[in-house]
Amino acid sequence: MKIDFDNVTKVFANGTKAVDGLTLSVNEGETLVLLGTSGSGKTTSMKMVNRLIEPTSGRIAIDGTDIMEQDPISLRRGIGYAIQHIGLFPHMTVAENIAVVPGLLGWEETAIRSRVDELLNLVGLGPTLFRDRYPNQLSGGQRQRVGVARALAADPPIVLMDEPFGALDPITREQLQQEFLELESEIRKTIIFVTHDVFEAVKMGDRVAILDKGRLQQAAPPAELVESPGNEFVDSFLGQHRFQLSLLTRPIDSLVEQDGNYPRPAPEEARPVLRRRDSLVKALDMFKQTGRRELPVCRRREIVGILSKKRLLAEITRVLGELEATA
Amino acid sequence: MNVVRQFFDKLGPDMIRYTVDHLYLTFLAIVIAVAIAVPLGIYLARTRWVRLPPLVLGIAGVMQTVPSLALIAFIVLFFAIAGLSTIGFLPGLLALVLYALLPIMRNTYTGIRQVDPSVKEVAAGMGMQPRQVLVKVELPLALPVIMAGIRISTVWTIGIATLCGLIGAGGLGELIFRGLRSLPRTADYLVAGTIPAALLALAADALLGALERWLTPPGLRGEVSRAE
Repeated sequence: MKIDFDNVTKVFANGTKAVDGLTLSVNEGETLVLLGTSGSGKTTSMKMVNRLIEPTSGRIAIDGTDIMEQDPISLRRGIGYAIQHIGLFPHMTVAENIAVVPGLLGWEETAIRSRVDELLNLVGLGPTLFRDRYPNQLSGGQRQRVGVARALAADPPIVLMDEPFGALDPITREQLQQEFLELESEIRKTIIFVTHDVFEAVKMGDRVAILDKGRLQQAAPPAELVESPGNEFVDSFLGQHRFQLSLLTRPIDSLVEQDGNYPRPAPEEARPVLRRRDSLVKALDMFKQTGRRELPVCRRREIVGILSKKRLLAEITRVLGELEATA
Repeated sequence: MNVVRQFFDKLGPDMIRYTVDHLYLTFLAIVIAVAIAVPLGIYLARTRWVRLPPLVLGIAGVMQTVPSLALIAFIVLFFAIAGLSTIGFLPGLLALVLYALLPIMRNTYTGIRQVDPSVKEVAAGMGMQPRQVLVKVELPLALPVIMAGIRISTVWTIGIATLCGLIGAGGLGELIFRGLRSLPRTADYLVAGTIPAALLALAADALLGALERWLTPPGLRGEVSRAE
Protein backbone atom coordinates (compact mmCIF):
# COMPACT_ATOMS: atom_id res chain seq x y z
CA MET A 1 0.00 0.00 0.00
CA LYS A 2 1.09 3.52 -0.75
CA ILE A 3 1.03 6.40 1.73
CA ASP A 4 0.88 10.01 0.58
CA PHE A 5 1.46 13.05 2.74
CA ASP A 6 0.16 16.12 0.96
CA ASN A 7 1.17 19.45 2.46
CA VAL A 8 0.56 18.15 6.00
CA THR A 9 0.92 20.54 8.91
CA LYS A 10 0.49 19.87 12.62
CA VAL A 11 0.26 22.70 15.13
CA PHE A 12 -0.16 21.54 18.73
CA ALA A 13 -2.49 23.27 21.18
CA ASN A 14 0.45 25.09 22.77
CA GLY A 15 1.30 26.66 19.40
CA THR A 16 4.27 24.47 18.50
CA LYS A 17 4.43 23.76 14.80
CA ALA A 18 5.64 20.16 14.90
CA VAL A 19 5.21 19.39 11.21
CA ASP A 20 5.25 22.09 8.59
CA GLY A 21 3.98 21.48 5.07
CA LEU A 22 5.16 17.89 4.70
CA THR A 23 4.71 16.43 1.24
CA LEU A 24 6.10 12.94 0.91
CA SER A 25 5.16 9.59 -0.58
CA VAL A 26 5.94 6.18 0.79
CA ASN A 27 5.80 3.63 -2.01
CA GLU A 28 4.30 0.16 -1.81
CA GLY A 29 6.72 -2.28 -0.20
CA GLU A 30 9.21 0.44 0.63
CA THR A 31 10.92 1.14 3.94
CA LEU A 32 10.98 4.88 4.43
CA VAL A 33 13.06 6.15 7.32
CA LEU A 34 12.14 9.44 8.99
CA LEU A 35 15.41 10.78 10.34
CA GLY A 36 15.93 13.78 12.56
CA THR A 37 16.82 15.04 16.01
CA SER A 38 14.21 15.25 18.77
CA GLY A 39 11.74 17.98 17.90
CA SER A 40 12.23 17.47 14.19
CA GLY A 41 8.65 16.24 13.79
CA LYS A 42 9.56 12.71 12.75
CA THR A 43 7.46 10.92 15.40
CA THR A 44 4.56 13.34 14.96
CA SER A 45 4.61 12.67 11.22
CA MET A 46 4.48 8.94 11.84
CA LYS A 47 1.70 9.11 14.43
CA MET A 48 -0.48 11.04 12.01
CA VAL A 49 -0.63 7.97 9.77
CA ASN A 50 -2.62 5.95 12.34
CA ARG A 51 -4.34 9.08 13.65
CA LEU A 52 -2.84 8.97 17.13
CA ILE A 53 -2.25 12.59 16.18
CA GLU A 54 -4.51 14.31 13.68
CA PRO A 55 -3.15 16.79 11.14
CA THR A 56 -4.10 20.46 11.49
CA SER A 57 -4.17 20.85 7.73
CA GLY A 58 -3.22 18.91 4.65
CA ARG A 59 -4.14 15.40 3.66
CA ILE A 60 -2.77 11.93 4.33
CA ALA A 61 -4.01 9.19 2.02
CA ILE A 62 -3.48 5.45 2.03
CA ASP A 63 -3.88 4.05 -1.47
CA GLY A 64 -5.66 7.26 -2.40
CA THR A 65 -8.21 7.22 0.46
CA ASP A 66 -8.03 10.09 2.92
CA ILE A 67 -7.43 8.61 6.38
CA MET A 68 -9.67 11.26 7.95
CA GLU A 69 -12.59 9.65 6.15
CA GLN A 70 -11.86 6.26 7.75
CA ASP A 71 -12.87 4.97 11.16
CA PRO A 72 -9.75 5.45 13.31
CA ILE A 73 -10.23 2.16 15.15
CA SER A 74 -10.36 -0.02 12.05
CA LEU A 75 -7.65 2.09 10.41
CA ARG A 76 -5.34 1.32 13.34
CA ARG A 77 -6.15 -2.37 13.37
CA GLY A 78 -4.92 -2.51 9.79
CA ILE A 79 -1.58 -0.85 10.57
CA GLY A 80 1.20 -2.56 12.52
CA TYR A 81 2.65 -0.45 15.30
CA ALA A 82 5.89 -0.99 17.20
CA ILE A 83 7.55 1.41 19.60
CA GLN A 84 10.71 1.30 21.61
CA HIS A 85 11.24 0.18 25.15
CA ILE A 86 8.03 -0.17 27.14
CA GLY A 87 5.69 -0.94 24.27
CA LEU A 88 4.77 -4.45 25.50
CA PHE A 89 1.89 -4.87 27.93
CA PRO A 90 3.60 -5.98 31.16
CA HIS A 91 0.57 -7.90 32.47
CA MET A 92 0.23 -10.05 29.37
CA THR A 93 2.35 -13.01 28.33
CA VAL A 94 4.34 -12.95 25.12
CA ALA A 95 1.56 -14.88 23.38
CA GLU A 96 -1.16 -12.56 24.72
CA ASN A 97 0.81 -9.51 23.61
CA ILE A 98 1.18 -10.82 20.08
CA ALA A 99 -2.48 -11.88 20.00
CA VAL A 100 -3.89 -8.43 20.80
CA VAL A 101 -4.77 -7.23 17.30
CA PRO A 102 -5.92 -10.64 16.00
CA GLY A 103 -8.09 -10.78 19.13
CA LEU A 104 -9.54 -7.33 18.43
CA LEU A 105 -10.25 -8.46 14.89
CA GLY A 106 -12.14 -11.46 16.24
CA TRP A 107 -9.95 -14.24 14.90
CA GLU A 108 -10.66 -17.77 16.07
CA GLU A 109 -8.71 -19.11 19.02
CA THR A 110 -6.91 -21.78 17.01
CA ALA A 111 -5.99 -19.38 14.22
CA ILE A 112 -4.55 -16.96 16.78
CA ARG A 113 -2.52 -19.66 18.45
CA SER A 114 -0.92 -20.92 15.26
CA ARG A 115 -0.23 -17.34 14.14
CA VAL A 116 1.51 -16.60 17.43
CA ASP A 117 3.76 -19.64 17.06
CA GLU A 118 4.48 -18.79 13.44
CA LEU A 119 5.53 -15.26 14.39
CA LEU A 120 7.65 -16.39 17.32
CA ASN A 121 9.52 -18.68 14.96
CA LEU A 122 9.85 -15.84 12.47
CA VAL A 123 11.58 -13.60 15.01
CA GLY A 124 13.72 -16.43 16.32
CA LEU A 125 12.07 -17.09 19.69
CA GLY A 126 11.10 -20.73 20.24
CA PRO A 127 7.34 -20.81 20.91
CA THR A 128 7.41 -23.52 23.60
CA LEU A 129 10.04 -21.62 25.54
CA PHE A 130 8.74 -18.09 25.12
CA ARG A 131 4.97 -18.26 24.58
CA ASP A 132 4.03 -18.06 28.25
CA ARG A 133 6.74 -15.74 29.52
CA TYR A 134 6.05 -12.23 30.72
CA PRO A 135 7.92 -9.20 29.33
CA ASN A 136 9.89 -8.79 32.56
CA GLN A 137 11.30 -12.27 32.03
CA LEU A 138 12.82 -11.28 28.70
CA SER A 139 16.04 -9.53 27.79
CA GLY A 140 15.86 -6.20 25.97
CA GLY A 141 16.54 -7.82 22.61
CA GLN A 142 13.90 -10.49 23.15
CA ARG A 143 11.36 -7.84 24.07
CA GLN A 144 12.02 -5.92 20.88
CA ARG A 145 11.60 -9.12 18.89
CA VAL A 146 8.21 -9.67 20.51
CA GLY A 147 7.39 -6.03 19.71
CA VAL A 148 8.15 -6.64 16.04
CA ALA A 149 6.17 -9.90 16.05
CA ARG A 150 3.22 -8.11 17.63
CA ALA A 151 3.30 -5.38 14.99
CA LEU A 152 3.16 -8.04 12.27
CA ALA A 153 0.51 -10.16 14.00
CA ALA A 154 -2.49 -9.47 11.78
CA ASP A 155 -0.29 -9.29 8.68
CA PRO A 156 -0.92 -5.57 8.10
CA PRO A 157 0.22 -4.10 4.78
CA ILE A 158 1.63 -1.06 6.60
CA VAL A 159 3.90 -1.06 9.64
CA LEU A 160 4.91 1.97 11.71
CA MET A 161 8.05 1.63 13.81
CA ASP A 162 9.17 4.28 16.28
CA GLU A 163 12.82 3.65 17.20
CA PRO A 164 12.04 -0.05 17.60
CA PHE A 165 15.66 -0.87 18.39
CA GLY A 166 16.27 2.29 20.40
CA ALA A 167 16.82 0.96 23.90
CA LEU A 168 19.33 -1.76 23.06
CA ASP A 169 23.05 -2.17 23.48
CA PRO A 170 24.99 -1.66 20.21
CA ILE A 171 25.68 -5.35 19.60
CA THR A 172 22.10 -6.57 20.12
CA ARG A 173 20.91 -3.61 18.11
CA GLU A 174 23.13 -4.45 15.16
CA GLN A 175 21.95 -8.04 15.30
CA LEU A 176 18.27 -7.09 15.36
CA GLN A 177 18.72 -4.62 12.53
CA GLN A 178 20.31 -7.34 10.44
CA GLU A 179 17.58 -9.83 11.29
CA PHE A 180 14.90 -7.30 10.54
CA LEU A 181 16.40 -6.53 7.14
CA GLU A 182 16.29 -10.22 6.27
CA LEU A 183 12.75 -10.54 7.62
CA GLU A 184 11.68 -7.43 5.76
CA SER A 185 12.94 -8.72 2.43
CA GLU A 186 10.62 -11.70 2.87
CA ILE A 187 7.49 -9.94 4.03
CA ARG A 188 7.61 -6.83 1.81
CA LYS A 189 5.60 -4.37 3.85
CA THR A 190 5.24 -0.65 3.46
CA ILE A 191 7.20 0.54 6.47
CA ILE A 192 7.68 3.94 8.08
CA PHE A 193 10.65 3.74 10.41
CA VAL A 194 11.51 6.58 12.78
CA THR A 195 15.02 7.01 14.12
CA HIS A 196 17.52 9.65 15.21
CA ASP A 197 20.45 7.38 14.36
CA VAL A 198 22.03 8.24 11.01
CA PHE A 199 23.62 4.82 10.63
CA GLU A 200 20.42 2.99 11.42
CA ALA A 201 18.60 5.18 8.89
CA VAL A 202 21.10 4.43 6.14
CA LYS A 203 21.10 0.74 6.95
CA MET A 204 17.35 0.19 7.23
CA GLY A 205 15.91 2.58 4.66
CA ASP A 206 15.17 2.13 0.99
CA ARG A 207 14.80 5.87 1.21
CA VAL A 208 15.60 8.27 4.03
CA ALA A 209 13.68 11.47 4.69
CA ILE A 210 15.56 13.99 6.81
CA LEU A 211 13.41 16.36 8.85
CA ASP A 212 14.37 19.46 10.76
CA LYS A 213 12.03 21.74 12.73
CA GLY A 214 9.06 20.05 11.09
CA ARG A 215 10.24 20.62 7.55
CA LEU A 216 11.36 17.99 5.10
CA GLN A 217 14.97 18.65 4.09
CA GLN A 218 15.57 15.85 1.64
CA ALA A 219 14.12 12.44 0.84
CA ALA A 220 16.35 10.14 -1.15
CA PRO A 221 17.92 6.70 -1.23
CA PRO A 222 20.76 6.49 1.33
CA ALA A 223 23.57 6.54 -1.24
CA GLU A 224 22.20 9.63 -2.93
CA LEU A 225 21.74 11.38 0.39
CA VAL A 226 25.33 10.70 1.37
CA GLU A 227 26.88 11.47 -2.00
CA SER A 228 24.85 14.54 -2.91
CA PRO A 229 23.20 16.22 0.07
CA GLY A 230 20.43 18.51 -1.12
CA ASN A 231 21.09 21.41 1.20
CA GLU A 232 23.37 22.71 3.89
CA PHE A 233 21.40 21.18 6.73
CA VAL A 234 21.62 17.67 5.30
CA ASP A 235 25.29 18.22 4.57
CA SER A 236 26.08 19.25 8.14
CA PHE A 237 23.74 16.63 9.64
CA LEU A 238 25.61 13.83 7.90
CA GLY A 239 28.89 15.79 7.93
CA GLN A 240 31.07 14.22 10.56
CA HIS A 241 29.99 10.69 9.61
CA ARG A 242 30.50 11.08 5.88
CA PHE A 243 33.31 8.52 5.59
CA GLN A 244 31.53 5.76 7.51
CA LEU A 245 28.28 6.56 5.72
CA SER A 246 29.95 6.30 2.33
CA LEU A 247 31.30 2.91 3.23
CA LEU A 248 27.84 1.88 4.39
CA THR A 249 26.02 3.10 1.30
CA ARG A 250 28.41 2.35 -1.57
CA PRO A 251 27.85 -1.05 -3.11
CA ILE A 252 30.68 -3.41 -4.03
CA ASP A 253 29.12 -3.80 -7.47
CA SER A 254 31.84 -2.04 -9.47
CA LEU A 255 34.64 -3.92 -7.70
CA VAL A 256 33.46 -7.40 -8.61
CA GLU A 257 35.84 -9.17 -11.00
CA GLN A 258 34.20 -11.21 -13.66
CA ASP A 259 35.67 -13.42 -16.40
CA GLY A 260 34.64 -16.27 -18.61
CA ASN A 261 34.34 -18.63 -15.64
CA TYR A 262 31.26 -16.80 -14.35
CA PRO A 263 28.42 -17.11 -13.79
CA ARG A 264 28.56 -20.60 -12.45
CA PRO A 265 26.43 -22.45 -9.92
CA ALA A 266 27.29 -21.81 -6.29
CA PRO A 267 28.28 -24.87 -4.25
CA GLU A 268 25.98 -25.55 -1.32
CA GLU A 269 28.61 -24.73 1.28
CA ALA A 270 29.31 -21.30 -0.18
CA ARG A 271 28.03 -19.36 2.78
CA PRO A 272 28.21 -16.64 3.85
CA VAL A 273 28.07 -14.99 0.47
CA LEU A 274 28.26 -11.44 -0.78
CA ARG A 275 25.82 -9.85 -3.16
CA ARG A 276 26.44 -7.07 -5.63
CA ARG A 277 24.36 -4.57 -3.68
CA ASP A 278 26.12 -5.22 -0.38
CA SER A 279 28.04 -2.28 1.06
CA LEU A 280 31.79 -1.87 1.37
CA VAL A 281 31.41 -2.22 5.15
CA LYS A 282 29.58 -5.52 4.86
CA ALA A 283 32.28 -6.86 2.55
CA LEU A 284 34.97 -5.67 4.93
CA ASP A 285 33.21 -7.40 7.85
CA MET A 286 32.98 -10.60 5.90
CA PHE A 287 36.67 -10.58 5.05
CA LYS A 288 37.36 -10.08 8.74
CA GLN A 289 35.10 -12.99 9.73
CA THR A 290 36.32 -15.47 7.16
CA GLY A 291 39.99 -14.47 7.05
CA ARG A 292 39.98 -15.10 3.30
CA ARG A 293 41.55 -13.01 0.56
CA GLU A 294 38.83 -13.53 -1.99
CA LEU A 295 35.11 -13.98 -1.63
CA PRO A 296 32.52 -15.12 -4.18
CA VAL A 297 29.76 -12.71 -5.08
CA CYS A 298 26.43 -14.34 -5.75
CA ARG A 299 23.10 -13.70 -7.35
CA ARG A 300 20.46 -16.19 -6.32
CA ARG A 301 22.23 -19.57 -6.54
CA GLU A 302 24.95 -18.47 -8.94
CA ILE A 303 28.40 -17.07 -8.38
CA VAL A 304 28.67 -14.05 -10.67
CA GLY A 305 32.19 -12.97 -9.78
CA ILE A 306 34.94 -12.58 -7.23
CA LEU A 307 35.79 -9.76 -4.86
CA SER A 308 39.38 -9.49 -3.67
CA LYS A 309 40.31 -7.96 -0.36
CA LYS A 310 43.01 -5.93 -2.09
CA ARG A 311 40.55 -4.20 -4.41
CA LEU A 312 38.16 -3.53 -1.56
CA LEU A 313 40.85 -1.88 0.56
CA ALA A 314 42.02 0.16 -2.43
CA GLU A 315 38.46 1.39 -2.94
CA ILE A 316 38.09 2.34 0.72
CA THR A 317 41.34 4.32 0.53
CA ARG A 318 40.05 6.01 -2.61
CA VAL A 319 36.77 7.02 -0.89
CA LEU A 320 38.73 8.48 1.98
CA GLY A 321 40.91 10.47 -0.44
CA GLU A 322 37.83 11.68 -2.31
CA LEU A 323 36.27 12.98 0.91
CA GLU A 324 39.46 14.68 2.00
CA ALA A 325 39.61 16.42 -1.37
CA THR A 326 36.07 17.82 -0.98
CA ALA A 327 36.50 18.78 2.68
CA MET B 1 -8.89 -23.10 83.05
CA ASN B 2 -11.99 -22.55 85.03
CA VAL B 3 -11.82 -18.81 84.52
CA VAL B 4 -11.53 -19.18 80.78
CA ARG B 5 -14.40 -21.57 80.73
CA GLN B 6 -16.59 -19.28 82.77
CA PHE B 7 -15.68 -16.41 80.50
CA PHE B 8 -16.75 -18.28 77.37
CA ASP B 9 -19.86 -19.68 79.00
CA LYS B 10 -20.96 -16.18 79.89
CA LEU B 11 -19.79 -14.19 76.88
CA GLY B 12 -19.10 -16.73 74.09
CA PRO B 13 -22.52 -16.39 72.38
CA ASP B 14 -22.33 -12.57 72.61
CA MET B 15 -18.84 -12.53 71.17
CA ILE B 16 -19.94 -14.59 68.19
CA ARG B 17 -23.09 -12.56 67.65
CA TYR B 18 -21.35 -9.19 67.86
CA THR B 19 -18.41 -10.35 65.74
CA VAL B 20 -20.84 -11.43 63.02
CA ASP B 21 -22.61 -8.06 63.36
CA HIS B 22 -19.31 -6.29 63.15
CA LEU B 23 -18.27 -8.19 60.05
CA TYR B 24 -21.63 -7.57 58.42
CA LEU B 25 -21.45 -3.83 59.09
CA THR B 26 -17.87 -3.61 57.81
CA PHE B 27 -18.53 -5.78 54.78
CA LEU B 28 -21.61 -3.83 53.76
CA ALA B 29 -19.80 -0.50 54.21
CA ILE B 30 -16.86 -1.67 52.07
CA VAL B 31 -19.10 -3.08 49.33
CA ILE B 32 -21.01 0.21 49.13
CA ALA B 33 -17.77 2.23 49.27
CA VAL B 34 -16.20 0.14 46.47
CA ALA B 35 -19.33 0.51 44.36
CA ILE B 36 -19.10 4.29 44.68
CA ALA B 37 -15.35 4.93 44.89
CA VAL B 38 -14.03 2.69 42.09
CA PRO B 39 -16.23 4.14 39.31
CA LEU B 40 -15.62 7.63 40.70
CA GLY B 41 -11.85 7.04 40.77
CA ILE B 42 -11.95 5.75 37.18
CA TYR B 43 -13.93 8.79 36.12
CA LEU B 44 -11.53 11.16 37.89
CA ALA B 45 -8.54 9.49 36.23
CA ARG B 46 -10.04 9.91 32.78
CA THR B 47 -11.86 13.22 32.93
CA ARG B 48 -10.51 16.07 30.84
CA TRP B 49 -11.58 18.53 33.50
CA VAL B 50 -8.24 18.86 35.27
CA ARG B 51 -9.60 20.76 38.29
CA LEU B 52 -12.08 18.06 39.23
CA PRO B 53 -9.73 15.37 40.65
CA PRO B 54 -8.00 17.64 43.19
CA LEU B 55 -11.40 19.04 44.20
CA VAL B 56 -13.09 15.69 44.79
CA LEU B 57 -10.04 14.11 46.41
CA GLY B 58 -9.72 17.23 48.57
CA ILE B 59 -13.29 16.98 49.82
CA ALA B 60 -12.84 13.28 50.53
CA GLY B 61 -9.60 14.12 52.31
CA VAL B 62 -11.36 16.60 54.60
CA MET B 63 -13.93 13.94 55.44
CA GLN B 64 -11.06 11.67 56.37
CA THR B 65 -9.41 14.28 58.57
CA VAL B 66 -12.50 14.89 60.72
CA PRO B 67 -12.09 12.67 63.82
CA SER B 68 -14.27 9.61 63.44
CA LEU B 69 -16.19 10.28 66.62
CA ALA B 70 -16.99 13.80 65.45
CA LEU B 71 -18.14 12.49 62.09
CA ILE B 72 -20.45 10.01 63.76
CA ALA B 73 -21.83 12.72 66.01
CA PHE B 74 -22.36 14.96 63.02
CA ILE B 75 -24.25 12.24 61.17
CA VAL B 76 -26.46 11.63 64.20
CA LEU B 77 -27.22 15.35 64.26
CA PHE B 78 -27.99 15.27 60.56
CA PHE B 79 -30.33 12.30 61.06
CA ALA B 80 -32.04 14.09 63.94
CA ILE B 81 -32.63 17.20 61.86
CA ALA B 82 -33.92 15.09 58.99
CA GLY B 83 -36.33 13.45 61.40
CA LEU B 84 -34.80 9.99 61.01
CA SER B 85 -33.94 7.52 63.73
CA THR B 86 -30.64 8.59 65.32
CA ILE B 87 -29.73 5.23 66.75
CA GLY B 88 -29.00 1.99 65.05
CA PHE B 89 -27.60 0.59 61.90
CA LEU B 90 -28.10 3.29 59.26
CA PRO B 91 -26.22 6.27 60.71
CA GLY B 92 -23.33 3.95 61.61
CA LEU B 93 -23.21 2.51 58.12
CA LEU B 94 -23.23 5.98 56.57
CA ALA B 95 -20.27 7.08 58.68
CA LEU B 96 -18.28 3.99 57.74
CA VAL B 97 -19.00 4.39 54.02
CA LEU B 98 -17.87 8.03 54.11
CA TYR B 99 -14.68 6.98 55.84
CA ALA B 100 -13.92 4.11 53.48
CA LEU B 101 -14.39 6.14 50.31
CA LEU B 102 -11.16 8.07 50.21
CA PRO B 103 -8.46 5.36 50.21
CA ILE B 104 -10.31 3.39 47.54
CA MET B 105 -11.03 6.41 45.37
CA ARG B 106 -7.53 7.80 45.70
CA ASN B 107 -5.88 4.48 44.93
CA THR B 108 -8.13 3.85 41.93
CA TYR B 109 -7.28 7.31 40.65
CA THR B 110 -3.52 7.05 41.14
CA GLY B 111 -3.46 3.40 40.04
CA ILE B 112 -4.87 4.34 36.67
CA ARG B 113 -2.90 7.55 36.38
CA GLN B 114 0.41 5.79 36.97
CA VAL B 115 -0.06 3.48 33.98
CA ASP B 116 2.71 4.41 31.58
CA PRO B 117 1.32 6.79 28.91
CA SER B 118 3.31 5.00 26.21
CA VAL B 119 1.59 1.73 27.12
CA LYS B 120 -1.80 3.43 26.77
CA GLU B 121 -0.78 5.03 23.52
CA VAL B 122 0.40 1.78 22.04
CA ALA B 123 -2.91 0.20 23.06
CA ALA B 124 -4.80 2.94 21.23
CA GLY B 125 -2.37 2.71 18.32
CA MET B 126 -3.12 -0.98 17.94
CA GLY B 127 -6.80 -0.17 17.53
CA MET B 128 -8.33 -0.61 20.99
CA GLN B 129 -11.44 1.43 21.73
CA PRO B 130 -11.12 3.69 24.81
CA ARG B 131 -13.26 1.17 26.76
CA GLN B 132 -10.96 -1.66 25.72
CA VAL B 133 -7.90 0.32 26.78
CA LEU B 134 -9.54 0.73 30.20
CA VAL B 135 -10.63 -2.88 30.64
CA LYS B 136 -7.72 -4.69 29.00
CA VAL B 137 -4.83 -2.43 29.95
CA GLU B 138 -5.48 0.26 32.56
CA LEU B 139 -7.55 -1.69 35.09
CA PRO B 140 -5.37 -4.82 35.14
CA LEU B 141 -2.29 -2.66 35.62
CA ALA B 142 -4.01 -0.58 38.34
CA LEU B 143 -5.57 -3.57 40.13
CA PRO B 144 -2.83 -4.10 42.75
CA VAL B 145 -3.03 -0.43 43.75
CA ILE B 146 -6.85 -0.47 43.89
CA MET B 147 -6.74 -3.62 46.03
CA ALA B 148 -4.30 -1.95 48.40
CA GLY B 149 -6.83 0.88 48.81
CA ILE B 150 -9.59 -1.60 49.61
CA ARG B 151 -7.36 -3.31 52.15
CA ILE B 152 -6.52 -0.04 53.92
CA SER B 153 -10.19 0.97 53.97
CA THR B 154 -11.28 -2.39 55.37
CA VAL B 155 -8.77 -2.35 58.21
CA TRP B 156 -9.75 1.21 59.14
CA THR B 157 -13.43 0.42 58.91
CA ILE B 158 -13.09 -2.52 61.28
CA GLY B 159 -11.52 -0.14 63.78
CA ILE B 160 -13.98 2.70 63.35
CA ALA B 161 -16.94 0.32 63.41
CA THR B 162 -16.26 -0.23 67.12
CA LEU B 163 -17.22 3.43 67.66
CA CYS B 164 -20.58 2.73 66.08
CA GLY B 165 -21.38 0.84 69.27
CA LEU B 166 -22.01 4.28 70.75
CA ILE B 167 -25.07 4.79 68.62
CA GLY B 168 -26.31 1.26 68.85
CA ALA B 169 -25.29 0.24 65.35
CA GLY B 170 -24.27 -3.17 66.64
CA GLY B 171 -20.86 -4.78 66.44
CA LEU B 172 -18.11 -5.36 68.94
CA GLY B 173 -18.26 -1.70 70.03
CA GLU B 174 -21.37 -2.53 72.04
CA LEU B 175 -19.40 -5.04 74.14
CA ILE B 176 -16.51 -2.60 74.56
CA PHE B 177 -18.72 0.24 75.75
CA ARG B 178 -20.61 -2.04 78.06
CA GLY B 179 -17.26 -3.10 79.49
CA LEU B 180 -16.13 0.49 79.95
CA ARG B 181 -19.24 1.46 81.85
CA SER B 182 -18.40 0.01 85.28
CA LEU B 183 -14.81 -1.12 85.40
CA PRO B 184 -13.23 -3.16 86.83
CA ARG B 185 -16.31 -5.29 87.43
CA THR B 186 -17.11 -5.46 83.70
CA ALA B 187 -13.55 -6.01 82.48
CA ASP B 188 -14.65 -9.31 80.92
CA TYR B 189 -16.92 -7.43 78.49
CA LEU B 190 -14.02 -5.20 77.53
CA VAL B 191 -11.86 -8.22 76.74
CA ALA B 192 -14.70 -9.91 74.84
CA GLY B 193 -14.99 -6.84 72.61
CA THR B 194 -11.42 -5.70 72.10
CA ILE B 195 -9.67 -9.00 71.38
CA PRO B 196 -11.99 -10.08 68.53
CA ALA B 197 -11.87 -6.54 67.08
CA ALA B 198 -8.07 -6.58 67.03
CA LEU B 199 -7.98 -10.10 65.58
CA LEU B 200 -10.52 -9.15 62.91
CA ALA B 201 -8.38 -6.22 61.77
CA LEU B 202 -5.24 -8.34 61.63
CA ALA B 203 -7.01 -11.17 59.80
CA ALA B 204 -8.57 -8.79 57.27
CA ASP B 205 -5.18 -7.22 56.61
CA ALA B 206 -3.54 -10.61 56.02
CA LEU B 207 -6.38 -12.02 53.90
CA LEU B 208 -6.74 -8.98 51.68
CA GLY B 209 -2.95 -8.76 51.38
CA ALA B 210 -2.94 -12.32 50.07
CA LEU B 211 -5.80 -11.50 47.68
CA GLU B 212 -3.87 -8.47 46.49
CA ARG B 213 -0.85 -10.59 45.61
CA TRP B 214 -3.03 -13.21 44.00
CA LEU B 215 -4.77 -10.61 41.82
CA THR B 216 -1.49 -8.98 40.78
CA PRO B 217 -0.83 -10.03 37.20
CA PRO B 218 2.15 -12.41 37.20
CA GLY B 219 4.06 -10.12 34.86
CA LEU B 220 4.01 -7.41 37.52
CA ARG B 221 5.08 -9.50 40.48
CA GLY B 222 8.46 -8.59 41.83
CA GLU B 223 9.61 -12.13 42.45
CA VAL B 224 9.44 -13.14 38.79
CA SER B 225 12.98 -13.95 37.83
CA ARG B 226 14.60 -12.17 34.94
CA ALA B 227 15.93 -14.69 32.50
CA GLU B 228 18.31 -13.81 29.72
